[in-house]
Amino acid sequence: MTAKNYAKDYKPIDLLAVAAAREVNDGDIVFAGTGLPMLAIMLAQVSSSPNAVCIYEAGSIDGRPIDLPTSVGDSRCAYQASIAAGLTETFYGQLHCGYVDLAFLGGAEIDKYGNVNTTVVGDYASPTKRFTGSGGNPDINSMARRTVFIMVQEKRRFKENVDYITSPGWILPKWPSGEMVPKQEIYGKFFTGGPSAVITNMGVFRFDENGEMYLDTVHPGFTAEQVKDNCSFDLNISRCKGETELPTEEEIELLYNRVDPEGIFLP
Amino acid sequence: MGKPQRISLKEAAALINDGDLLTFSGFTIWRRPMALVYEMVRQQKKNLHLFEVNGGTHTEVLAGAGAIKIWESCWVGHELYGKLGEGVARAQVEGSMIVEDYSHAQVVARLIAGAYGLPFFPTALSMGTDILNPKFDMLGKAGMRDGSNPKIPLKKYDVIKDSLYDKGDILLMPAANPNWALIYASQVGDEGTVRVFSQCYVDSEAIKAADKVIVIAEEIVPDSYLRQEPEKNLAAGYAIDYVVELPWGAHPTGSQFFYDVDADFIREFYQASKSQDAYAKWADKWIFGVDSHEEYLEKLGINRLENLRANSVLGYSTSIKRGTR
Repeated sequence: MTAKNYAKDYKPIDLLAVAAAREVNDGDIVFAGTGLPMLAIMLAQVSSSPNAVCIYEAGSIDGRPIDLPTSVGDSRCAYQASIAAGLTETFYGQLHCGYVDLAFLGGAEIDKYGNVNTTVVGDYASPTKRFTGSGGNPDINSMARRTVFIMVQEKRRFKENVDYITSPGWILPKWPSGEMVPKQEIYGKFFTGGPSAVITNMGVFRFDENGEMYLDTVHPGFTAEQVKDNCSFDLNISRCKGETELPTEEEIELLYNRVDPEGIFLP
Repeated sequence: MGKPQRISLKEAAALINDGDLLTFSGFTIWRRPMALVYEMVRQQKKNLHLFEVNGGTHTEVLAGAGAIKIWESCWVGHELYGKLGEGVARAQVEGSMIVEDYSHAQVVARLIAGAYGLPFFPTALSMGTDILNPKFDMLGKAGMRDGSNPKIPLKKYDVIKDSLYDKGDILLMPAANPNWALIYASQVGDEGTVRVFSQCYVDSEAIKAADKVIVIAEEIVPDSYLRQEPEKNLAAGYAIDYVVELPWGAHPTGSQFFYDVDADFIREFYQASKSQDAYAKWADKWIFGVDSHEEYLEKLGINRLENLRANSVLGYSTSIKRGTR
């Protein structure tokens, strides 16, 4: 095996996209959101996982875009798709029936169980700020076998309790009582999996047997303690196995010249 | 029933009453009936109740005009061209708009139920989230689930135990049957057959769920042409009540194989949507400053529109500059 040719020069966003692309197994059926998730799945498809396919919630199934889409409803998503349908097909005909292996999603806030907020800051009944809202984030995350969240690392975003649970993690409120229980208990025989990784500008996180987040690898240039200092909850760094693998020259070349040559998400 | 009636844009907007429950075609910044939305603002519609699978630029135009009383949905923004729905957000924070959040697949479930004549549609998606927190049933809190408004269900959702295959708890999402579906479609036949190009989003469900349907057509074509390939069509003419032929009627949102999203226009609107004063100035220029769709197009200018025109093979514009390179 030849030694990998690691990039000497890369931006934080490049590492995020590359680390996310490495979560794709060849042959995975991937459900992706807008932005970095698109870069990650498209990079995976042109590098390590040529047999991975992508579903976008607006209706394109296994599209083969030759130009990067800027949203999941974009005409470009449906280019050479096997099916151009709608949301009933993607959410029920693909996701609910169990085809989806991997979800790539974003979030504004996350807690240690992987519960994500994309809805409001403050009490929902009288919020101080509104984000976009759930979109398909909680749906896709409900029934994909694995979910990877791509987020910005900040103390105010990695919280003990998120202000509103938009998207389900591993320990969740069972309504109407609100008692916190494992996801399996709420989903019963519909249970398929849950959050498997969180990738930020500082590290890669995974979830342990109890559904709690731990630091898996730290990006070059940061220490595990620095990552812990950028979390409001008590992050487990005892299982950190070292530095995140750097992007290779080939991956950077593909990202800038093949996936996003126009500089849409990679300025 | 029978063939839809051809009417003007002004007549179409005049059919909609204050307080009506509306839904729309499209997806975020794609295939929205924008010309009709502008005309509704010109006619100063108020207290509208929106039920939509997702929001977008059209929602924000109505929100800025203070036209929305209730918004039931899951998401609002302008994708890459404006990260938040500022008008909805401001109204929710101020408390001047009732916002009822569901998940995306849950609102789809509500529209499927409405489309197929069912009281509810089951889903196991997004269980265990605060969407289901009883404290956050905002229409319930407002006392609006008492049955007095037939368009508002008695509960936000229900839960049953699956008694057939013992799969556990599953949610029931109440049907949504809006007064109006306001649809933008790529082609409509002269007998009303509807076709949309590329992804069909939830346009078919929206048409079937609504009591009455107005379609803004990019072009009206002979029905016999659409009937040569019936598998490509979305809806039969008898499901449509009114048709307005209006080229570029979805601008600034995109329409596959006709024109791309006008990113600069949406970015400029997004900046304006951040304050009521800036919105008012924007609306003076683009809504109240023109009396018709034709005047709006004239103001945009031919060069701008030509730049957005889709490549007829690829379905999107190859001349717009989208990134920094």
